[in-house]
Amino acid sequence: MSAALNETAAGWEPLIVSFCCNWCSYAGGDLAGTSRMSYPANVKVIRVPCSGRMNPLFVLRAFQRGADGVLVAGCHPGDCHYTSGNYQSRRRLSAFKRLVEFAGFEPERFEVRWISSSEGDKFAEEMTSMTEKIKALGPNRKMRDARWQSVTSKV
Amino acid sequence: MAERNIESVNKVREAVSQDLLGGRIDLLLGWEKGHYWWQSRPLFARSEEDLEKLAWDSFCAVNLSRYLLEELKDHDKIGVLVKGCDARAFNRLLQDNMVKRDQVILYGLPCPGMLDYNRLIEKAGGALLGITEENGRVILNIESGEQEAQRDDLLLDKCKDCRYPDPAVYDQLLFSPQGEKEGPERFKTVEELEEMSAEERFGYWEKELSRCLRCYACRQACPFCSCRECFVEQENPRWQGRAYQPSENFMFHLVRAYHGTGRCIDCGECERSCPVDIPLQELNRKLIKDINELYGDYEAGLDAEQEPPLLTYRPDDPAAFSEK
Amino acid sequence: MPRTGVFICHCGSNIAGTVDIDKTVEASRNFPGVVHADEYRYLCSEMGQDIITKAIKENDLDRVVVGTCSPRMHENTFRKAAAEAGLNPYLLEVANIREHCSWVHKDMEEATPKAIALLRAAAAKAALNEALEAPRLDVEKRALVIGGGIAGIQAALDIAEAGYVVDIVEKDPSIGGRMAQLEKTFPTLDCSACILTPKMVEAAQHPNINLLTYSEVDEVKGFVGQFDVKIKQKARYVDPVKCTGCGICWEKCPSKASSEFEMGLAKRKSIYVPFAQAVPMVPVIDRDSCLYFRKGRCQICEQECPPQAIDYEQQDEIIERRYGAIVVATGFDQLDPTIYGEYGYGQHPDILTGLEFERIFNASGPTGGKVVKLSDGKPPKKVVFIQCIGSRDKARGMNYCSKICCMYTAKQAILLKEKVPDAKSYVFYIDVRTGGKGYEEFQRRAAEEYDVAYMRGQVGKIFPEDDHLVVRGIDSLTNRNIEIKADMVVLAAATVARADAPEVGRLVGINSDSYHFFNEAHPKLKPVETHTAGIFIAGACQAPKDIPETVSQASAAAVKAIGLLSKEKLQGEACTAEVIQSECSGCLNCEAICPYTAITPVEIEERYKDGVLKRTVAEVNPALCQGCGSCAVTCRSGSINLKGFSNDQIMAEVDAICLQR
Repeated sequence: MSAALNETAAGWEPLIVSFCCNWCSYAGGDLAGTSRMSYPANVKVIRVPCSGRMNPLFVLRAFQRGADGVLVAGCHPGDCHYTSGNYQSRRRLSAFKRLVEFAGFEPERFEVRWISSSEGDKFAEEMTSMTEKIKALGPNRKMRDARWQSVTSKV
Repeated sequence: MAERNIESVNKVREAVSQDLLGGRIDLLLGWEKGHYWWQSRPLFARSEEDLEKLAWDSFCAVNLSRYLLEELKDHDKIGVLVKGCDARAFNRLLQDNMVKRDQVILYGLPCPGMLDYNRLIEKAGGALLGITEENGRVILNIESGEQEAQRDDLLLDKCKDCRYPDPAVYDQLLFSPQGEKEGPERFKTVEELEEMSAEERFGYWEKELSRCLRCYACRQACPFCSCRECFVEQENPRWQGRAYQPSENFMFHLVRAYHGTGRCIDCGECERSCPVDIPLQELNRKLIKDINELYGDYEAGLDAEQEPPLLTYRPDDPAAFSEK
Repeated sequence: MPRTGVFICHCGSNIAGTVDIDKTVEASRNFPGVVHADEYRYLCSEMGQDIITKAIKENDLDRVVVGTCSPRMHENTFRKAAAEAGLNPYLLEVANIREHCSWVHKDMEEATPKAIALLRAAAAKAALNEALEAPRLDVEKRALVIGGGIAGIQAALDIAEAGYVVDIVEKDPSIGGRMAQLEKTFPTLDCSACILTPKMVEAAQHPNINLLTYSEVDEVKGFVGQFDVKIKQKARYVDPVKCTGCGICWEKCPSKASSEFEMGLAKRKSIYVPFAQAVPMVPVIDRDSCLYFRKGRCQICEQECPPQAIDYEQQDEIIERRYGAIVVATGFDQLDPTIYGEYGYGQHPDILTGLEFERIFNASGPTGGKVVKLSDGKPPKKVVFIQCIGSRDKARGMNYCSKICCMYTAKQAILLKEKVPDAKSYVFYIDVRTGGKGYEEFQRRAAEEYDVAYMRGQVGKIFPEDDHLVVRGIDSLTNRNIEIKADMVVLAAATVARADAPEVGRLVGINSDSYHFFNEAHPKLKPVETHTAGIFIAGACQAPKDIPETVSQASAAAVKAIGLLSKEKLQGEACTAEVIQSECSGCLNCEAICPYTAITPVEIEERYKDGVLKRTVAEVNPALCQGCGSCAVTCRSGSINLKGFSNDQIMAEVDAICLQR
């Protein structure tokens, strides 16, 4: 209960988990860094080899554990390091996105973007806009596992 | 008393008994009457005596194909009575390499749709002793006499909007086909839910899913749930928490539905077997609707040769998210 | 419980400037399994690596987390350091607290908690890391070159010279490609055939080169070092061993068809070699026009052939070979300008494309080298060249510059003046682009010494009137309307990818840009590599380019292929998929989606009741698996997992990151 109260307080900051493919989007994130672009620290990136590695269950897990938004990023269609991973994930994640929306999640909670290794600017923009949209929506409590709400960071 | 047509049962029995007694099949999967007249349950027939129990009436809703998963371990060749949905389920299993085509003989039964006992007693408004059927009408035997009703009004939900009542695959078709149906209201509830706000929809599912007992009857009845070990039981990683808790209920049902993407044959057995009446088929139908919208017409189980939509792609596929 | 050591790099002030290192080290000590935490100014330095190696030994660490720059930078450096201390390198994880943290966040208040979250995730993942071994793979000492143009020939010669066997697969009956169609080459005006033919012959005679002409690649399977390729050798209906190339057959052949080599401007026989210097000098019969194949009679070639080399019964043949490396050099096409109605291409014989005009100059071309109009055989006195037909045209054509047109137009204008001294050339251009050694000088010569009129502007309409073509345009510098009564119009049609490039790309397993030009692995640093290891690209299949550039790229691709072929063994991917066969239900959905055909069904036996039950499950070939992990997502029961990025590892990262709540 206390965590929920904290979240409505002015100091609430959303947590956004972003899964980035190693070859394009993660590298795009690196480029955003080397170019000293800036985006909110709310976003935490998990590196996966390919957007095709992105199991929708990871998204639900993140929501259960307290993520307010999840962003999957992969290579642009045609550029997949593994040739077809992003084509496969496009179908899987499109179906899944519609499903979670059907379950009552706001569309902004789960997003997919194609970001290439040369699009450091796009990486920073997408991370910023995702954070802003989630801030506007407020905390996500849907599917949040009550048992995890009491665990707060000591940092 | 629920026999729709004695002759038709005899015809079915005649067709299968030769194969079973002649040794062409070791087992016949059919239906027999349950404890009550409104129940028909799976029959595992191995002898002439067993075949005497065979039933083919308006309560044979149980999808038989799924029983192949277990029975094929003990039998070399099995005969199965298949309605439209049982046949699609068979194709589903075939596509998942769960059966080989030559292990099974399929006796096709074009299906008029199965009746919903709840609708029958509602219609009867009191104690219902039995029914008789003729020409699309159902005559209800109630204490005060007889009452007539349109058969279509008494169908199970899963049958009301069934588009493919005829078996898509069979070795022998026992009756003349019903023809493809429209199923105009198939996506009606899905569309109604889509109209709602995210909050309303979440509220709807929160309420519905709160009843879930996690008995997994839906999974046990489902022809696309053919995994040897279901994700809910996996220890490493533990995808599915064991707790009886709203978040975990969502996890289970969303993942189960997602696992049916492009694979659900829309037989509705999940929903029919749910002891707490969760509208599970709407989750599946949402995915069927979206997959068809996004990636072209696909009806799981209709054609075992057609590649399931999540196992293929086109470079110019659309996406449900911005691709700019 | 693992014994994890966490090491945090200051990277000078790059990390330490925005991440509170002390706080981060302290927080790391509280992560589950962490028994040691330390920091250093530059962990990637010798000293820094020593700190890690020593700590591993002293504290008996079995997992290492390094908080530093991107794993794409120094993961290997640290893995080596761990290996030096006797630890399996895959037990180390990197937390990217520089590119993904200190460099993108403003202050310590923001960056420090995020760095801690990223470290916590890395530690949670590391706890589940397993020792992995990268497989050692064999290398087949043989290369395949797809395309027998100048790029393919050059690459093959270089590889062959290094001592490796090369097969060139060429879809046409002869090697030579586009360069064989050219008259002269800019900026030196040496004759194209004179410099190309010796190379063609050299390739044909090289003991290490096999020419597979009139052949196409049918299937490519396998992976770097071991590509299994099926090549379809189309039936020529001529036995190449018996044939002497005497030419009697095509001399006597009574039926004709449009010549592909002459861009349709001339006819060839139904049994033909595409051009006089063809290599091999072995004709093919074109079934579509041959009287015998169409109507069952004729057989003149068979009767006339002195060595009896004609064989109507010949069948397409499939050759299966294994290669260590593949060079794709499939060249380019020219855009068909019919889509631009205003230029009237296709409606008048004197409106030509650049490549067609090239054939008009050629001594063996449709006019025997006489520069004349195709309409009436008279020499053209006024020729209008129009640049950028379909190039630099966002609205209707290609966004890119075709690169070679400015130069070949200058060349053709010079050649025209030499052949028809009283001819006058006009060039409509958007910009004149002449980057390259001697190029600018060459174009200036055309304008100044050969009286070529360059007009910046565009043409709006071309139509025939009397015996000439009216060209109406605008000079955009003076804003004047221009009308020229021309005898001939030459359209510099865009250089485009081969029509079958998408199919070739799919077949070989390399990707392309939106124009279907094949993508290099890195635009600057890996110009001839592709994203698929062991496959290299050369020439205009990658982007429009001229001959010198093509040849350099071909030699570069050859060097890359040679470097690969010279290796005894290749290091494979350690992070591969793995099937838990006892749980696998054998649906083989993973097999269907695997881009590398790394998954195959295998039959296993299991105890069942009193006996044994045979069932089919999936199996991964770790040599083929590239570790994309798509199979692990397709598998609903989690029975196939990706080592290094396993389901439990990723979920542990999610959980650890969300702990910040």
